[in-house]
Amino acid sequence: MLATVNSATLHGLDGRTIRVEVDVAPGLPGFTIVGLADAALQEARERVRGAIRNSGFTHPARRITVNLAPAELRKAGASLDLAIAVGVLLGSEQIAPGSGRPAMVGELSLGAEVRPIPGTLPMVAALARRGVRRVLVPAAALDEARLVEGIECIGVESLAEAVGAIRSSRSRRRVVPPSRIDLGGAGLAAAPDPPGIEREGWPDLAEVRGQLEARRAIEIALAGGHAMLLVGPPGAGKTLLARTIPGLLPPLDDAAALSATVIASVAGGERIRALVRRPPFRMPHHTTSYAAMVGGGPRLTPGEVTRADGGVLFLDELAEFSRDVLEALREPLEEGRVAISRVIGAQTFPARFQLVAAMNPCPCGMAGTDGGGCSCPQTVVDRYASRVSGALRDRIDLWVAMPRLAPAALVGRDEPEDSATVRARIAAARARQLGRRTGLLNARISGRELRTVAGLDAAGRRRLVELAEAERLSGRGTARLVRVARTIADLDDRPFVAVEDLEEAARYRAFDARAATRLAV
Amino acid sequence: MVGVGRAGPLGPVPLAQDAVSSPSAAAMAPSPRDPDREERDALAVLVSVPGVGPATLARLIGAIGSASDVVALARRPGAATRLRAAAPSRGERPGGVTDEVAEALIDAAGRSDEIVGRVRAAGLTVVTLEDETYPARLRATELPPLALFVRGSVAALSARRAVAIVGTRSATHAGRQIASQLAAVLAAAGATIVSGLAIGIDGAAHAGVVAVHGSTVAVLGGGHDRLYPPAHARLARTIAEEGGAVISEHAPSTSPARHTFPRRNRIIAGLAEATIVVEAGRGSGALTTAVWAMEQGRGCYVVPGPLGAPTWAGCLELLRECHGVARIVAGPAELLTDLDLPDDASAGRDVDAGAARLGVPSVAAVLLELGPTARTVGRALVAGLATPDDLVAATDLPVATVLAALTVLEGRGLATSAYGRYRAAGALAAASPGGRRRVQRAVPGAGRGR
Repeated sequence: MLATVNSATLHGLDGRTIRVEVDVAPGLPGFTIVGLADAALQEARERVRGAIRNSGFTHPARRITVNLAPAELRKAGASLDLAIAVGVLLGSEQIAPGSGRPAMVGELSLGAEVRPIPGTLPMVAALARRGVRRVLVPAAALDEARLVEGIECIGVESLAEAVGAIRSSRSRRRVVPPSRIDLGGAGLAAAPDPPGIEREGWPDLAEVRGQLEARRAIEIALAGGHAMLLVGPPGAGKTLLARTIPGLLPPLDDAAALSATVIASVAGGERIRALVRRPPFRMPHHTTSYAAMVGGGPRLTPGEVTRADGGVLFLDELAEFSRDVLEALREPLEEGRVAISRVIGAQTFPARFQLVAAMNPCPCGMAGTDGGGCSCPQTVVDRYASRVSGALRDRIDLWVAMPRLAPAALVGRDEPEDSATVRARIAAARARQLGRRTGLLNARISGRELRTVAGLDAAGRRRLVELAEAERLSGRGTARLVRVARTIADLDDRPFVAVEDLEEAARYRAFDARAATRLAV
Repeated sequence: MVGVGRAGPLGPVPLAQDAVSSPSAAAMAPSPRDPDREERDALAVLVSVPGVGPATLARLIGAIGSASDVVALARRPGAATRLRAAAPSRGERPGGVTDEVAEALIDAAGRSDEIVGRVRAAGLTVVTLEDETYPARLRATELPPLALFVRGSVAALSARRAVAIVGTRSATHAGRQIASQLAAVLAAAGATIVSGLAIGIDGAAHAGVVAVHGSTVAVLGGGHDRLYPPAHARLARTIAEEGGAVISEHAPSTSPARHTFPRRNRIIAGLAEATIVVEAGRGSGALTTAVWAMEQGRGCYVVPGPLGAPTWAGCLELLRECHGVARIVAGPAELLTDLDLPDDASAGRDVDAGAARLGVPSVAAVLLELGPTARTVGRALVAGLATPDDLVAATDLPVATVLAALTVLEGRGLATSAYGRYRAAGALAAASPGGRRRVQRAVPGAGRGR
């Protein structure tokens, strides 16, 4: 007999609805899955056989054919396990269909438990878009699935529970979402923000002593979404300062939170209980591979650039990353997304991350410290710096040198500002930027809009020309200067960019631009 | 044909050219018959011949008569045999004419107009050993170059006081700092700084002089048209524009090669009364310059580096092996005393007079031109090397204001930065005693005893 069950798989960041057709027919016993299934899906046969047996049902000794429609779509992963098992039970008439005919997603264990799968959220959303009313999801992913509006989600722990849910036509748990968030047609229920965003485990800015220029720069960078590079010897506090970023970023707005939640769902790992409001902060190690950074692999999984979407990608020891990996950052930095093409298809993932990077000034790390601590010849220092290509340097708005400080500066008399104070200023500056007609952070507005937004007066324009000439800035470099100056003015709640803003912004310009004006090599 | 200046027709004096262009002169003599000019042109042609050095030239001219006679001979049939006979390459004497050299001489003599035209087009002045403008100190050395191709001021070569500053190309940041500070201090005291325009210590020394608008001479290892290193093209231009000189003993088209640099080093040492080695590893070319200077009876000063630093190992070796001859640089003030140069700081705060001599405005005047915040930050910088943290603590200004002020100062050449540390530069550094203190601190090991 033929049985049909609706389910879904993951394709990039999107869910795709799949119709699972199971035919249990007389003939030589066998189990065939057709419809471009990958290795994990082929192995579903064994999991389904074990789960059926260990739930007290009989695996039919007949000819079982599973067809996954649409046939031309490649399917991957274990999200169809539950649907295949239920299809076999229906097809062999061990259970009778109820009136509800729910869809279902979930992986099965041999012991018939229903396991959570990555991407529950987009899969459920895809089913909701198709008009499915009820869906069975792994109990562990119920909170996540319930974020989708307009579909009833039932959490099941085991195959037996799933069978029970199919038999009863009434739902066990009904969730009425309080508000609507648009997700490509299907709504998401905005769960209330958790009380205070989790900021534990990250250092507070009050723990960072001295380094006033770098503190100032990080505030500007986060306020305007500017890419930033910290350069300094080991022990100057680069990593510590970067690790205060999660405590300085304001929470995500609804649209960004939705996107972040989908990405977190697909990435798997953490259990999602509510919309992810905390901006992502990713710090991949410098040995990270190209595929891990950009995304890809056999199943087109999102990489670090996508997982940092809406937040910060922190690359410590920038010069130690492989050239390919760094070059791959150019496209996402420019476009805010990354396109990946593989045999199984092409995908475009969002990658609107803010780049924060740190590196040593030279291989030994001690260049610029007192008393000739560095033994690297200038040529070696220059070569080390050139490991970061010009194209990537060009996209970094703020360059900050962090010298190693004298003990006196570290003891200091004044208590440094804490993260909450700085975060409030950052949030206010961001609100001002987003409130403008462009609705974008300064780092992302176009050159033409920048001129309008900066509102430079005659003196400001004159000073800008002077600074650009003195530093031999390119058009891009000049725009970068104005962009940063605009953010400085925003932090100060001033409608127009002042001469002093431009002068301060000029301090954060690229070191290699400084090298170009240097007479002697 | 009277009134041809000693600087010669290839030089800036255009009298000979005027004479040539007058119709009667041209009619009488299709090629100019000015002996001075002819000799100079002939020398320019001869030095451009590959394989012909001062030794060969001296032997050829000794045997044949003058440079123009050599060129004339090379134009005649059967020249190769006669040239070889004039300076046989057999035997112990250096500088013989081999078959290849004879061929090259004949070839160059045939192209002499082209070669001379190239020198003229490049705007170079040729100074020959016979000229009064030839630097006397260099003439006094063993086998001085017969001709020098000069861009910029010929007078800079014969400055009353001249000191060479040399060192490794693989310089450390500390070494470059020392080179540029010593150069600035010596230039401010009135000395012309001679160096080799190379990457590293040489470049830092030249740049240090240019920053205080002093006079400096760069000696090239190749011809002017093949300026090496290309990265210092702008530096070379600036040196010539600021009243210094860029010189070469090679014809403009000569490519720099391994063997051209040791001779370049001899010229550096020869032009200066003393040579200072700032930073040099074992086997560095700077050491050969120093040794040559000592052999010629010139002074030699060495900056002692820290034990175990590979880029200073050559300096320490030199100090140990030439004990009693090579002297130690204990600091800028001490160096000025040892060289018998006026020390403005010790001469009763005569800094402004020293600065005025170089056309540099005084610190007070410089600060007055600035806005109030830049002035405050500028004053704090004069006190010593500083991080933004130090400047904020010293001035009580917000960090944003301090950073903006630093841009203003840097724009006027009054501050420079490296790796997040700022220091006074230009007029603020050259005229401030604080500038000297900083050099002492930057000399590795110099502050250890305090």
